[in-house]
Amino acid sequence: MQPLANVTPLNPLARAGAIEVRNVSQVFKTANQDVVALSDVSLDIRPGRFVVLVGPSGCGKSTLLMMMAGLQRPGSGTIRINGAPIEKPDPNRVGVVFQEASLFPWLTAEDNVEFPLALRGVAKTERRAKAEEALKLVGLEGFGKRHPHELSGGMKQRVSIARGLVQDPPVLLMDEPFAALDEQTRMTMGDELLRIWAATGKTVVFVTHSLTEAVYLADEVVVMSARPGRIVDTLQVQLPRPRTYDMLSGDTFGALRDRIWRHIRKSA
Amino acid sequence: MKAQTLRTLIIIALIVLWELLPRSGLVPELFLPSLSSTLIAGWTDAGEYGHALITTLYEVAIAMLFACGGGILLGAIVGSLPRPRILIMPIVSSLYAVPLVILYPVFTVWFGIGAESKIAFAAIYGFLPTMLATAAGIQTIDPQLLLAARSMGATMSQRLMRVVLPAAIPTVLSGLRVGGALVIVGVVVSEMLISSAGIGYLISRYRTVLDSPHVFAGVLLVLALAILFNAAIRLLERKAAIWQTGTRGAARDVASPALQPAT
Repeated sequence: MQPLANVTPLNPLARAGAIEVRNVSQVFKTANQDVVALSDVSLDIRPGRFVVLVGPSGCGKSTLLMMMAGLQRPGSGTIRINGAPIEKPDPNRVGVVFQEASLFPWLTAEDNVEFPLALRGVAKTERRAKAEEALKLVGLEGFGKRHPHELSGGMKQRVSIARGLVQDPPVLLMDEPFAALDEQTRMTMGDELLRIWAATGKTVVFVTHSLTEAVYLADEVVVMSARPGRIVDTLQVQLPRPRTYDMLSGDTFGALRDRIWRHIRKSA
Repeated sequence: MKAQTLRTLIIIALIVLWELLPRSGLVPELFLPSLSSTLIAGWTDAGEYGHALITTLYEVAIAMLFACGGGILLGAIVGSLPRPRILIMPIVSSLYAVPLVILYPVFTVWFGIGAESKIAFAAIYGFLPTMLATAAGIQTIDPQLLLAARSMGATMSQRLMRVVLPAAIPTVLSGLRVGGALVIVGVVVSEMLISSAGIGYLISRYRTVLDSPHVFAGVLLVLALAILFNAAIRLLERKAAIWQTGTRGAARDVASPALQPAT
Protein backbone atom coordinates (compact mmCIF):
# COMPACT_ATOMS: atom_id res chain seq x y z
CA MET A 1 0.00 0.00 0.00
CA GLN A 2 1.19 3.44 -0.85
CA PRO A 3 1.51 5.73 2.17
CA LEU A 4 -1.47 8.05 2.27
CA ALA A 5 -1.69 11.61 3.41
CA ASN A 6 -3.46 11.25 6.74
CA VAL A 7 -6.18 13.73 5.72
CA THR A 8 -7.34 11.37 2.95
CA PRO A 9 -9.80 8.81 4.25
CA LEU A 10 -10.28 7.34 0.77
CA ASN A 11 -9.29 3.85 -0.19
CA PRO A 12 -6.22 4.26 -2.41
CA LEU A 13 -7.87 2.00 -4.96
CA ALA A 14 -10.61 4.60 -5.41
CA ARG A 15 -8.17 7.34 -6.34
CA ALA A 16 -7.74 8.59 -9.88
CA GLY A 17 -5.57 6.20 -11.83
CA ALA A 18 -5.99 3.19 -9.54
CA ILE A 19 -6.83 -0.10 -11.26
CA GLU A 20 -8.36 -2.98 -9.38
CA VAL A 21 -8.72 -6.36 -11.10
CA ARG A 22 -10.73 -8.86 -9.02
CA ASN A 23 -11.04 -12.57 -9.84
CA VAL A 24 -11.30 -12.03 -13.56
CA SER A 25 -11.81 -15.16 -15.65
CA GLN A 26 -12.54 -15.58 -19.31
CA VAL A 27 -13.27 -18.75 -21.27
CA PHE A 28 -13.38 -18.77 -25.06
CA LYS A 29 -15.42 -21.56 -26.58
CA THR A 30 -14.03 -23.02 -29.78
CA ALA A 31 -15.38 -25.87 -31.88
CA ASN A 32 -13.62 -28.70 -30.07
CA GLN A 33 -12.68 -27.28 -26.70
CA ASP A 34 -12.93 -24.46 -24.22
CA VAL A 35 -9.84 -22.30 -23.92
CA VAL A 36 -9.31 -20.66 -20.55
CA ALA A 37 -7.88 -17.31 -21.57
CA LEU A 38 -7.82 -15.91 -18.06
CA SER A 39 -8.16 -17.85 -14.85
CA ASP A 40 -9.00 -15.98 -11.66
CA VAL A 41 -6.71 -13.01 -12.24
CA SER A 42 -6.47 -10.39 -9.50
CA LEU A 43 -4.22 -7.38 -9.64
CA ASP A 44 -3.98 -4.01 -7.89
CA ILE A 45 -2.25 -1.17 -9.63
CA ARG A 46 -1.60 1.96 -7.63
CA PRO A 47 -1.99 5.41 -9.20
CA GLY A 48 0.98 6.68 -11.17
CA ARG A 49 2.71 3.32 -11.46
CA PHE A 50 4.28 1.98 -14.62
CA VAL A 51 3.22 -1.66 -14.80
CA VAL A 52 4.28 -4.02 -17.59
CA LEU A 53 2.45 -7.26 -18.43
CA VAL A 54 4.61 -9.96 -19.99
CA GLY A 55 4.03 -13.59 -20.83
CA PRO A 56 4.04 -16.07 -23.68
CA SER A 57 1.61 -15.77 -26.59
CA GLY A 58 -1.87 -16.76 -25.53
CA CYS A 59 -1.42 -15.92 -21.86
CA GLY A 60 -4.26 -13.43 -22.08
CA LYS A 61 -2.26 -10.28 -21.36
CA SER A 62 -3.80 -8.42 -24.28
CA THR A 63 -7.23 -9.76 -23.34
CA LEU A 64 -6.73 -8.42 -19.83
CA LEU A 65 -5.70 -5.04 -21.24
CA MET A 66 -8.74 -4.93 -23.54
CA MET A 67 -10.91 -5.63 -20.50
CA MET A 68 -9.32 -2.74 -18.61
CA ALA A 69 -10.11 -0.59 -21.66
CA GLY A 70 -13.75 -1.66 -21.52
CA LEU A 71 -13.46 -3.15 -25.02
CA GLN A 72 -14.20 -6.66 -23.73
CA ARG A 73 -16.35 -7.78 -20.85
CA PRO A 74 -14.82 -10.30 -18.48
CA GLY A 75 -16.63 -13.63 -18.29
CA SER A 76 -16.59 -13.25 -14.52
CA GLY A 77 -14.97 -10.94 -11.99
CA THR A 78 -14.75 -7.17 -11.98
CA ILE A 79 -12.38 -4.43 -13.06
CA ARG A 80 -12.54 -1.06 -11.38
CA ILE A 81 -10.75 2.10 -12.40
CA ASN A 82 -10.83 5.12 -10.08
CA GLY A 83 -12.92 2.88 -7.83
CA ALA A 84 -15.77 2.52 -10.34
CA PRO A 85 -16.39 -0.56 -12.49
CA ILE A 86 -15.42 -0.26 -16.13
CA GLU A 87 -18.13 -1.71 -18.33
CA LYS A 88 -17.63 0.10 -21.61
CA PRO A 89 -14.89 2.28 -23.09
CA ASP A 90 -14.57 5.45 -21.04
CA PRO A 91 -12.07 7.86 -22.61
CA ASN A 92 -12.27 10.10 -19.57
CA ARG A 93 -10.73 7.41 -17.42
CA VAL A 94 -8.69 5.38 -19.91
CA GLY A 95 -6.66 6.19 -23.01
CA VAL A 96 -5.61 3.28 -25.23
CA VAL A 97 -2.60 2.96 -27.55
CA PHE A 98 -2.58 -0.01 -29.92
CA GLN A 99 0.23 -1.95 -31.56
CA GLU A 100 -0.44 -0.56 -35.01
CA ALA A 101 -0.71 3.18 -34.55
CA SER A 102 -4.29 2.79 -35.88
CA LEU A 103 -4.45 6.41 -36.94
CA PHE A 104 -7.11 7.39 -39.45
CA PRO A 105 -5.18 7.81 -42.70
CA TRP A 106 -7.57 10.44 -44.08
CA LEU A 107 -7.04 12.77 -41.11
CA THR A 108 -4.02 14.93 -40.32
CA ALA A 109 -2.03 14.26 -37.16
CA GLU A 110 -3.86 16.98 -35.25
CA ASP A 111 -7.28 15.85 -36.52
CA ASN A 112 -6.39 12.35 -35.37
CA VAL A 113 -5.47 13.65 -31.91
CA GLU A 114 -8.68 15.69 -31.83
CA PHE A 115 -10.81 12.73 -32.85
CA PRO A 116 -11.90 11.64 -29.34
CA LEU A 117 -12.76 15.26 -28.50
CA ALA A 118 -14.70 15.64 -31.75
CA LEU A 119 -16.74 12.56 -30.82
CA ARG A 120 -17.85 14.36 -27.67
CA GLY A 121 -18.66 17.55 -29.55
CA VAL A 122 -15.92 19.73 -28.02
CA ALA A 123 -15.66 23.12 -29.78
CA LYS A 124 -13.12 23.41 -32.58
CA THR A 125 -10.87 26.01 -30.95
CA GLU A 126 -10.67 24.12 -27.68
CA ARG A 127 -9.99 20.89 -29.55
CA ARG A 128 -7.18 22.45 -31.55
CA ALA A 129 -5.58 23.91 -28.43
CA LYS A 130 -5.66 20.56 -26.63
CA ALA A 131 -4.33 18.70 -29.66
CA GLU A 132 -1.44 21.14 -29.99
CA GLU A 133 -0.64 20.72 -26.33
CA ALA A 134 -0.70 16.91 -26.63
CA LEU A 135 1.45 16.91 -29.77
CA LYS A 136 3.94 19.19 -28.04
CA LEU A 137 4.06 16.79 -25.09
CA VAL A 138 5.03 13.88 -27.36
CA GLY A 139 7.62 15.98 -29.18
CA LEU A 140 5.71 16.51 -32.41
CA GLU A 141 5.25 20.27 -32.34
CA GLY A 142 4.85 21.54 -35.89
CA PHE A 143 3.87 18.18 -37.37
CA GLY A 144 0.13 18.59 -36.83
CA LYS A 145 -0.70 19.25 -40.48
CA ARG A 146 0.91 16.05 -41.74
CA HIS A 147 -1.03 12.97 -42.68
CA PRO A 148 -0.06 9.60 -41.16
CA HIS A 149 1.60 8.40 -44.39
CA GLU A 150 3.96 11.37 -44.16
CA LEU A 151 5.16 10.28 -40.71
CA SER A 152 7.65 7.60 -39.68
CA GLY A 153 6.59 4.58 -37.60
CA GLY A 154 7.88 6.17 -34.39
CA MET A 155 6.15 9.47 -35.14
CA LYS A 156 2.87 7.67 -35.81
CA GLN A 157 3.08 6.03 -32.39
CA ARG A 158 3.78 9.44 -30.84
CA VAL A 159 0.60 10.76 -32.47
CA SER A 160 -1.20 7.70 -31.15
CA ILE A 161 0.08 8.41 -27.62
CA ALA A 162 -0.95 12.06 -27.98
CA ARG A 163 -4.42 10.86 -28.97
CA GLY A 164 -4.52 8.62 -25.90
CA LEU A 165 -3.57 11.52 -23.64
CA VAL A 166 -5.63 14.32 -25.18
CA GLN A 167 -8.57 13.85 -22.82
CA ASP A 168 -6.16 13.69 -19.89
CA PRO A 169 -7.32 10.31 -18.56
CA PRO A 170 -5.54 9.10 -15.41
CA VAL A 171 -4.79 5.72 -17.04
CA LEU A 172 -2.94 4.96 -20.26
CA LEU A 173 -3.16 1.38 -21.58
CA MET A 174 -0.63 0.32 -24.20
CA ASP A 175 -0.90 -2.91 -26.18
CA GLU A 176 2.56 -3.72 -27.55
CA PRO A 177 2.85 -0.17 -28.81
CA PHE A 178 6.41 -0.44 -30.07
CA ALA A 179 6.35 -4.01 -31.41
CA ALA A 180 6.26 -2.90 -35.04
CA LEU A 181 9.19 -0.49 -34.68
CA ASP A 182 12.84 -1.18 -35.38
CA GLU A 183 15.24 -1.67 -32.47
CA GLN A 184 16.71 1.85 -32.36
CA THR A 185 13.34 3.58 -32.68
CA ARG A 186 12.02 1.24 -30.04
CA MET A 187 14.71 2.27 -27.53
CA THR A 188 14.16 5.95 -28.26
CA MET A 189 10.42 5.58 -27.93
CA GLY A 190 10.89 3.80 -24.60
CA ASP A 191 12.85 6.76 -23.26
CA GLU A 192 10.29 9.16 -24.71
CA LEU A 193 7.47 7.26 -23.06
CA LEU A 194 9.23 7.38 -19.69
CA ARG A 195 9.70 11.13 -20.12
CA ILE A 196 6.00 11.61 -20.95
CA TRP A 197 5.01 9.36 -18.07
CA ALA A 198 7.18 11.32 -15.63
CA ALA A 199 5.74 14.60 -16.94
CA THR A 200 2.10 13.54 -16.69
CA GLY A 201 2.03 11.15 -13.73
CA LYS A 202 -0.34 8.74 -15.50
CA THR A 203 -0.83 5.15 -14.49
CA VAL A 204 0.57 3.13 -17.39
CA VAL A 205 -0.20 -0.51 -18.13
CA PHE A 206 2.03 -1.71 -20.91
CA VAL A 207 1.90 -5.08 -22.67
CA THR A 208 5.04 -6.34 -24.39
CA HIS A 209 6.84 -9.46 -25.61
CA SER A 210 10.25 -7.94 -24.96
CA LEU A 211 11.73 -8.80 -21.56
CA THR A 212 14.36 -6.09 -21.91
CA GLU A 213 11.71 -3.50 -22.66
CA ALA A 214 9.66 -4.77 -19.70
CA VAL A 215 12.44 -4.41 -17.14
CA TYR A 216 13.72 -1.16 -18.64
CA LEU A 217 10.37 0.61 -18.45
CA ALA A 218 8.58 -0.85 -15.45
CA ASP A 219 8.14 -0.12 -11.78
CA GLU A 220 6.53 -3.51 -11.63
CA VAL A 221 6.53 -6.43 -14.05
CA VAL A 222 3.56 -8.81 -13.95
CA VAL A 223 4.45 -12.18 -15.44
CA MET A 224 1.63 -14.30 -16.84
CA SER A 225 1.52 -17.90 -18.03
CA ALA A 226 -0.54 -19.44 -20.79
CA ARG A 227 -3.37 -21.99 -20.69
CA PRO A 228 -4.80 -21.12 -18.34
CA GLY A 229 -3.79 -17.45 -18.42
CA ARG A 230 -2.91 -16.40 -14.88
CA ILE A 231 -0.39 -14.33 -12.97
CA VAL A 232 2.66 -16.35 -11.90
CA ASP A 233 4.90 -13.65 -10.54
CA THR A 234 5.12 -9.93 -9.82
CA LEU A 235 8.54 -8.30 -9.81
CA GLN A 236 9.40 -4.92 -8.34
CA VAL A 237 12.02 -3.22 -10.47
CA GLN A 238 14.13 -1.23 -8.01
CA LEU A 239 16.40 0.35 -10.60
CA PRO A 240 16.66 4.12 -10.11
CA ARG A 241 15.07 6.59 -12.46
CA PRO A 242 15.75 7.98 -14.93
CA ARG A 243 16.63 4.68 -16.49
CA THR A 244 19.73 4.72 -18.65
CA TYR A 245 21.12 2.52 -21.36
CA ASP A 246 24.03 1.41 -19.09
CA MET A 247 21.61 -0.32 -16.73
CA LEU A 248 20.82 -2.87 -19.43
CA SER A 249 24.18 -4.57 -18.86
CA GLY A 250 24.06 -4.36 -15.04
CA ASP A 251 23.60 -7.35 -12.69
CA THR A 252 20.25 -6.21 -11.28
CA PHE A 253 18.84 -5.89 -14.75
CA GLY A 254 20.15 -9.29 -15.81
CA ALA A 255 18.81 -11.02 -12.70
CA LEU A 256 15.32 -9.60 -13.21
CA ARG A 257 15.27 -10.50 -16.86
CA ASP A 258 16.45 -14.07 -16.08
CA ARG A 259 13.74 -14.51 -13.51
CA ILE A 260 11.06 -13.50 -16.00
CA TRP A 261 12.58 -15.72 -18.67
CA ARG A 262 12.54 -18.78 -16.40
CA HIS A 263 8.81 -18.29 -15.76
CA ILE A 264 8.05 -17.90 -19.42
CA ARG A 265 10.15 -20.88 -20.51
CA LYS A 266 8.37 -23.03 -17.96
CA SER A 267 4.91 -22.15 -19.18
CA ALA A 268 5.51 -21.85 -22.90
CA MET B 1 10.84 10.24 -73.13
CA LYS B 2 8.23 10.80 -70.47
CA ALA B 3 5.16 8.58 -70.54
CA GLN B 4 2.88 11.61 -70.70
CA THR B 5 4.50 13.02 -73.87
CA LEU B 6 4.65 9.56 -75.42
CA ARG B 7 0.97 9.11 -74.77
CA THR B 8 0.17 12.47 -76.35
CA LEU B 9 2.25 11.52 -79.38
CA ILE B 10 0.43 8.22 -79.80
CA ILE B 11 -2.93 9.97 -79.67
CA ILE B 12 -1.76 12.56 -82.23
CA ALA B 13 -0.45 9.79 -84.48
CA LEU B 14 -3.80 7.97 -84.30
CA ILE B 15 -5.68 11.13 -85.21
CA VAL B 16 -3.36 11.82 -88.15
CA LEU B 17 -3.69 8.21 -89.34
CA TRP B 18 -7.44 8.45 -89.06
CA GLU B 19 -7.35 11.38 -91.46
CA LEU B 20 -4.68 10.07 -93.83
CA LEU B 21 -5.54 6.37 -94.26
CA PRO B 22 -9.04 6.88 -95.71
CA ARG B 23 -7.93 9.91 -97.75
CA SER B 24 -5.07 8.04 -99.38
CA GLY B 25 -7.47 5.23 -100.31
CA LEU B 26 -5.64 2.61 -98.22
CA VAL B 27 -8.84 2.07 -96.24
CA PRO B 28 -12.21 2.44 -97.99
CA GLU B 29 -14.25 5.42 -96.72
CA LEU B 30 -17.14 3.05 -96.06
CA PHE B 31 -15.09 1.17 -93.44
CA LEU B 32 -13.42 4.20 -91.94
CA PRO B 33 -14.47 7.67 -93.02
CA SER B 34 -11.77 10.30 -92.54
CA LEU B 35 -11.84 12.35 -89.36
CA SER B 36 -12.69 15.51 -91.27
CA SER B 37 -15.70 13.99 -93.05
CA THR B 38 -16.86 12.56 -89.70
CA LEU B 39 -16.62 15.96 -88.06
CA ILE B 40 -18.36 17.64 -91.00
CA ALA B 41 -21.15 15.06 -90.87
CA GLY B 42 -21.55 15.70 -87.15
CA TRP B 43 -21.44 19.46 -87.63
CA THR B 44 -24.01 19.64 -90.43
CA ASP B 45 -26.47 17.62 -88.35
CA ALA B 46 -25.44 19.12 -85.02
CA GLY B 47 -29.07 19.69 -84.10
CA GLU B 48 -29.93 16.05 -84.52
CA TYR B 49 -26.89 14.91 -82.53
CA GLY B 50 -27.51 17.48 -79.84
CA HIS B 51 -31.03 16.24 -79.45
CA ALA B 52 -29.84 12.63 -79.28
CA LEU B 53 -27.14 13.58 -76.78
CA ILE B 54 -29.68 15.16 -74.46
CA THR B 55 -31.79 12.00 -74.58
CA THR B 56 -28.77 9.81 -73.88
CA LEU B 57 -27.43 12.07 -71.12
CA TYR B 58 -30.81 12.10 -69.45
CA GLU B 59 -30.98 8.31 -69.48
CA VAL B 60 -27.38 8.02 -68.26
CA ALA B 61 -27.95 10.47 -65.43
CA ILE B 62 -31.05 8.75 -64.10
CA ALA B 63 -29.57 5.28 -64.51
CA MET B 64 -26.36 6.44 -62.78
CA LEU B 65 -28.41 7.72 -59.87
CA PHE B 66 -30.07 4.34 -59.42
CA ALA B 67 -26.95 2.30 -60.11
CA CYS B 68 -24.58 4.25 -57.89
CA GLY B 69 -27.01 5.25 -55.17
CA GLY B 70 -28.48 1.78 -54.91
CA GLY B 71 -25.12 0.09 -55.38
CA ILE B 72 -23.47 2.06 -52.59
CA LEU B 73 -26.42 1.68 -50.23
CA LEU B 74 -26.87 -2.05 -50.75
CA GLY B 75 -23.12 -2.62 -50.87
CA ALA B 76 -22.77 -0.89 -47.51
CA ILE B 77 -25.49 -3.05 -45.97
CA VAL B 78 -24.21 -6.29 -47.46
CA GLY B 79 -20.60 -5.41 -46.64
CA SER B 80 -21.21 -4.62 -43.00
CA LEU B 81 -23.64 -7.35 -42.04
CA PRO B 82 -22.44 -10.94 -42.27
CA ARG B 83 -25.83 -12.62 -42.78
CA PRO B 84 -26.97 -10.78 -45.90
CA ARG B 85 -23.43 -11.11 -47.19
CA ILE B 86 -23.56 -14.90 -47.03
CA LEU B 87 -26.99 -14.94 -48.63
CA ILE B 88 -26.61 -12.32 -51.33
CA MET B 89 -22.96 -12.11 -52.35
CA PRO B 90 -22.70 -15.43 -54.22
CA ILE B 91 -25.86 -14.61 -56.19
CA VAL B 92 -24.66 -11.13 -57.08
CA SER B 93 -21.20 -12.34 -58.03
CA SER B 94 -22.52 -14.98 -60.40
CA LEU B 95 -25.09 -12.56 -61.80
CA TYR B 96 -22.20 -10.26 -62.62
CA ALA B 97 -20.75 -12.93 -64.89
CA VAL B 98 -23.98 -13.27 -66.90
CA PRO B 99 -24.19 -11.12 -70.06
CA LEU B 100 -27.16 -9.09 -68.87
CA VAL B 101 -27.82 -7.77 -72.36
CA ILE B 102 -29.80 -10.95 -73.02
CA LEU B 103 -32.38 -9.56 -70.61
CA TYR B 104 -32.87 -6.38 -72.58
CA PRO B 105 -35.70 -7.73 -74.80
CA VAL B 106 -37.54 -8.60 -71.61
CA PHE B 107 -37.04 -5.07 -70.34
CA THR B 108 -38.60 -3.64 -73.48
CA VAL B 109 -41.61 -5.82 -72.88
CA TRP B 110 -41.87 -4.54 -69.32
CA PHE B 111 -41.00 -0.88 -69.84
CA GLY B 112 -41.60 -0.21 -73.55
CA ILE B 113 -39.02 1.04 -76.03
CA GLY B 114 -38.73 4.53 -74.54
CA ALA B 115 -36.24 5.90 -72.03
CA GLU B 116 -37.58 3.75 -69.15
CA SER B 117 -36.30 0.45 -70.48
CA LYS B 118 -32.85 1.98 -71.15
CA ILE B 119 -32.70 3.46 -67.68
CA ALA B 120 -33.78 0.20 -66.07
CA PHE B 121 -31.32 -1.88 -68.08
CA ALA B 122 -28.34 0.46 -67.63
CA ALA B 123 -29.09 0.91 -63.92
CA ILE B 124 -28.92 -2.84 -63.33
CA TYR B 125 -25.89 -3.10 -65.55
CA GLY B 126 -23.95 -0.50 -63.52
CA PHE B 127 -25.44 -1.46 -60.16
CA LEU B 128 -23.65 -4.79 -59.78
CA PRO B 129 -19.99 -3.65 -59.90
CA THR B 130 -20.75 -0.63 -57.72
CA MET B 131 -22.39 -2.81 -55.11
CA LEU B 132 -19.66 -5.43 -55.21
CA ALA B 133 -16.90 -2.81 -54.87
CA THR B 134 -18.66 -1.04 -52.01
CA ALA B 135 -19.25 -4.30 -50.16
CA ALA B 136 -15.61 -5.28 -50.67
CA GLY B 137 -14.47 -1.83 -49.55
CA ILE B 138 -16.45 -1.99 -46.34
CA GLN B 139 -15.33 -5.53 -45.62
CA THR B 140 -11.65 -4.67 -45.97
CA ILE B 141 -11.71 -1.82 -43.47
CA ASP B 142 -8.98 -2.33 -40.91
CA PRO B 143 -10.82 -3.67 -37.81
CA GLN B 144 -8.11 -2.02 -35.72
CA LEU B 145 -9.45 1.40 -36.77
CA LEU B 146 -12.92 0.46 -35.56
CA LEU B 147 -11.51 -0.87 -32.31
CA ALA B 148 -9.55 2.36 -31.79
CA ALA B 149 -12.68 4.41 -32.44
CA ARG B 150 -14.60 2.27 -29.95
CA SER B 151 -11.87 2.76 -27.33
CA MET B 152 -12.37 6.51 -27.74
CA GLY B 153 -16.06 6.11 -26.97
CA ALA B 154 -17.44 6.30 -30.52
CA THR B 155 -21.07 5.24 -30.82
CA MET B 156 -22.29 2.93 -33.57
CA SER B 157 -23.39 5.81 -35.80
CA GLN B 158 -20.19 7.76 -35.13
CA ARG B 159 -18.17 4.73 -36.19
CA LEU B 160 -20.21 4.47 -39.39
CA MET B 161 -20.00 8.17 -40.29
CA ARG B 162 -16.47 8.92 -39.15
CA VAL B 163 -14.65 5.65 -39.81
CA VAL B 164 -16.48 3.25 -42.12
CA LEU B 165 -17.56 5.78 -44.75
CA PRO B 166 -14.27 7.67 -45.16
CA ALA B 167 -12.31 4.41 -45.08
CA ALA B 168 -14.48 2.93 -47.83
CA ILE B 169 -14.28 5.89 -50.21
CA PRO B 170 -11.36 4.68 -52.37
CA THR B 171 -12.96 1.32 -53.13
CA VAL B 172 -16.33 2.93 -53.66
CA LEU B 173 -14.77 5.32 -56.18
CA SER B 174 -13.15 2.50 -58.11
CA GLY B 175 -16.53 0.76 -58.12
CA LEU B 176 -18.15 3.93 -59.39
CA ARG B 177 -15.63 4.13 -62.18
CA VAL B 178 -16.52 0.68 -63.46
CA GLY B 179 -20.21 0.97 -62.64
CA GLY B 180 -20.55 4.40 -64.26
CA ALA B 181 -18.76 3.27 -67.42
CA LEU B 182 -21.11 0.30 -67.62
CA VAL B 183 -24.12 2.60 -67.26
CA ILE B 184 -22.95 4.50 -70.35
CA VAL B 185 -22.40 1.21 -72.18
CA GLY B 186 -25.80 -0.05 -71.08
CA VAL B 187 -27.65 3.04 -72.29
CA VAL B 188 -25.91 3.19 -75.68
CA VAL B 189 -26.20 -0.54 -76.33
CA SER B 190 -29.90 -0.62 -75.47
CA GLU B 191 -30.46 2.41 -77.67
CA MET B 192 -28.78 0.58 -80.52
CA LEU B 193 -30.91 -2.51 -80.06
CA ILE B 194 -34.46 -1.26 -79.85
CA SER B 195 -35.34 2.42 -79.56
CA SER B 196 -36.38 5.62 -81.25
CA ALA B 197 -34.01 8.19 -79.77
CA GLY B 198 -30.51 8.75 -78.41
CA ILE B 199 -27.00 8.47 -79.77
CA GLY B 200 -27.09 4.70 -79.92
CA TYR B 201 -30.24 4.93 -82.01
CA LEU B 202 -28.55 7.41 -84.40
CA ILE B 203 -25.50 5.17 -84.80
CA SER B 204 -27.70 2.19 -85.51
CA ARG B 205 -29.94 4.07 -87.96
CA TYR B 206 -27.08 5.56 -89.99
CA ARG B 207 -25.44 2.15 -90.10
CA THR B 208 -28.46 0.63 -91.83
CA VAL B 209 -28.14 3.22 -94.61
CA LEU B 210 -24.35 2.77 -94.80
CA ASP B 211 -23.66 6.40 -93.90
CA SER B 212 -20.27 5.83 -92.27
CA PRO B 213 -19.38 9.48 -91.46
CA HIS B 214 -22.60 9.88 -89.49
CA VAL B 215 -22.04 6.54 -87.72
CA PHE B 216 -18.58 7.62 -86.66
CA ALA B 217 -19.81 11.04 -85.55
CA GLY B 218 -22.05 9.19 -83.10
CA VAL B 219 -19.18 6.96 -82.02
CA LEU B 220 -17.02 10.03 -81.35
CA LEU B 221 -19.76 11.49 -79.17
CA VAL B 222 -20.00 8.33 -77.06
CA LEU B 223 -16.23 8.26 -76.78
CA ALA B 224 -16.21 11.86 -75.55
CA LEU B 225 -18.90 11.02 -73.01
CA ALA B 226 -16.91 8.10 -71.61
CA ILE B 227 -13.68 10.08 -71.46
CA LEU B 228 -15.39 12.96 -69.67
CA PHE B 229 -16.91 10.61 -67.13
CA ASN B 230 -13.58 8.96 -66.51
CA ALA B 231 -11.89 12.34 -66.07
CA ALA B 232 -14.54 13.35 -63.53
CA ILE B 233 -13.99 10.20 -61.47
CA ARG B 234 -10.24 10.64 -61.70
CA LEU B 235 -10.61 14.16 -60.35
CA LEU B 236 -12.59 12.79 -57.40
CA GLU B 237 -9.99 10.11 -56.83
CA ARG B 238 -7.23 12.68 -56.79
CA LYS B 239 -9.16 14.70 -54.22
CA ALA B 240 -9.37 11.55 -52.14
CA ALA B 241 -5.71 10.69 -52.69
CA ILE B 242 -5.05 10.92 -48.97
CA TRP B 243 -7.44 8.02 -48.37
CA GLN B 244 -5.50 5.84 -50.71
CA THR B 245 -2.10 6.25 -49.17
CA GLY B 246 -1.20 5.02 -45.74
CA THR B 247 -3.12 1.87 -44.91
CA ARG B 248 -4.07 1.30 -48.51
CA GLY B 249 -0.81 1.45 -50.40
CA ALA B 250 -2.04 -0.88 -53.12
CA ALA B 251 -5.07 1.21 -54.00
CA ARG B 252 -2.80 4.06 -54.98
CA ASP B 253 -1.24 2.12 -57.83
CA VAL B 254 -4.63 1.22 -59.22
CA ALA B 255 -5.55 4.87 -59.28
CA SER B 256 -2.38 6.07 -60.99
CA PRO B 257 -3.18 7.31 -64.47
CA ALA B 258 -0.53 5.15 -66.13
CA LEU B 259 -2.51 1.99 -65.38
CA GLN B 260 -5.86 3.27 -66.42
CA PRO B 261 -7.67 1.89 -69.42
CA ALA B 262 -7.98 4.46 -72.19
CA THR B 263 -11.76 3.97 -71.96
